[in-house]
Amino acid sequence: MRFQYLLGQAAANLRRNVLVVFSAVVAVLVMLTLVFGTIVLRWSIDQDIGRWDDNVRVIAFLSDELTLEEIDSLQRDLQVWEQVEGVEYFSKAEALDEFRELFADQQSLIDVVEEDPSILPASLRIRPTAAADYSAITDRLVVIPGIREVSAADEAIDALVARSDRLRTFAVWIVVVLGAAAVILIANTIRIAVFARREEIGIMKLVGAGNWFVRIPFFLEGIVEGLVGAALSVALVWGVSGSIAELFSTSTSPGALAVPVDFLVRNGLLILGFGAATGLAGSVFGMWGFLRD
Amino acid sequence: MIRLQDVTKVYDGVTVAVSDVSLEIQKGEFVFFVGPSGSGKSTLIRLILRQELPTDGAIWVAGKQTSKLPSWKVPLLRRSVGTVFQDFKLLPSKTVYENVAFALEVIGRPRHVIRNQVPQVLKLVGLAAKADRLPNQLSGGEQQRVSIARAFVNRPLIVLADEPTGNLDPATSVGIMRLLDRINRTGTTVVMATHDHAIVDAMRRRVIALERGRVVRDQSRGAYETSDQPIVEA
Repeated sequence: MRFQYLLGQAAANLRRNVLVVFSAVVAVLVMLTLVFGTIVLRWSIDQDIGRWDDNVRVIAFLSDELTLEEIDSLQRDLQVWEQVEGVEYFSKAEALDEFRELFADQQSLIDVVEEDPSILPASLRIRPTAAADYSAITDRLVVIPGIREVSAADEAIDALVARSDRLRTFAVWIVVVLGAAAVILIANTIRIAVFARREEIGIMKLVGAGNWFVRIPFFLEGIVEGLVGAALSVALVWGVSGSIAELFSTSTSPGALAVPVDFLVRNGLLILGFGAATGLAGSVFGMWGFLRD
Repeated sequence: MIRLQDVTKVYDGVTVAVSDVSLEIQKGEFVFFVGPSGSGKSTLIRLILRQELPTDGAIWVAGKQTSKLPSWKVPLLRRSVGTVFQDFKLLPSKTVYENVAFALEVIGRPRHVIRNQVPQVLKLVGLAAKADRLPNQLSGGEQQRVSIARAFVNRPLIVLADEPTGNLDPATSVGIMRLLDRINRTGTTVVMATHDHAIVDAMRRRVIALERGRVVRDQSRGAYETSDQPIVEA
């Protein structure tokens, strides 16, 4: 019966200020939609980076003066680098084979490299642990004597990684700015509810209602506002998650970016928890100084 | 039941509302606080109710020292003290029954207790027939009866009344006093702040007179004025 009473009070508070409650819910909705949307977006970008990961190679072209032993020891050195997953030796002969394959329809080019073997050097092909590590590897390679030139696979990786990082920064700012706005708006609804019921609260305290008995309906009100906003944002983002994922995608096959359900559930729960926390923070903030004893 | 020892209350560091007051009220006593406006009557009521803490000195209510009570225990103290005010403090949207039941609901009394107690206390104050009325459908005297019913429904050890007849005509006031007297006869300690001469003179109960925050007279079976009576120290 007590619990029923507390819930009833919270519900009555919510009904009393529909418009103010609505604004608080919308604030939570907007904030968490942006946060959740960003999470999905980052997921799709990370998928992209992941696809690149397997194919990224840093190629260190070797000077012709290196002996096979020197190359062998260099290969073993590189193998133990933290950012390096694997190193493959690619001899002059193999390079020539590859060249022939790639330019099979341009016999004149093939003639040129066959005449001058110094054009196609031997190389070490390095597989980085993560695609984003390639620049660190490049930086270390260029200063090693005997390495003629370093070529990294793609600047596109850079762009993707940067985009993913920018998104993270963006998400953090959303949380800070919109989170503060949502907390303030919820605090406002709580304050109005406390004010509307100040007579009742005064009497409750006079007749000896416990402090928590007085406070709990307001906490519940804030939490409900936060949860409703969060639930709406989860529903919204869930509904359009496919489109969000394809927004910046470089993938050519459209079906490949269906966001997995367990990912959405996991992060959706996180968002709900975040919404409830925002609501609770708003209630605490709204009641600060009121309802002491 | 209530004991004040060297109690001083200063507001904002300058306004002295109560100055060095010591007094003791026994269980079952009926006590008037009398004196002009600003003499400190209401401050004493607020101090006993622990709506305020004394600047200096100590107060014991129902065996507990108010200034040593942690804030979460204050509600427990208030459950043993019923309060009645000049302005009734009824909730306008609740019926007579609901206003009284509210006092039990918010301290978590089970429903069957509420269903049992509320009609009883409404009968005691003579409002059983008007249980479904809203406060604005009642006269001032009837509204004050509702607020007394609410103060008493939890069977407190003490009833504090701050100018309970302040808004009522003399005839109605007599009815309210009869009611407080009946409550006092159940063994409940009643402390009433008033400046209603007629009531104090008619009741002939203990009178504690205050002036500018000090006790100037403490007299059993006293009157409001002192013209024909010697000042008796407590």
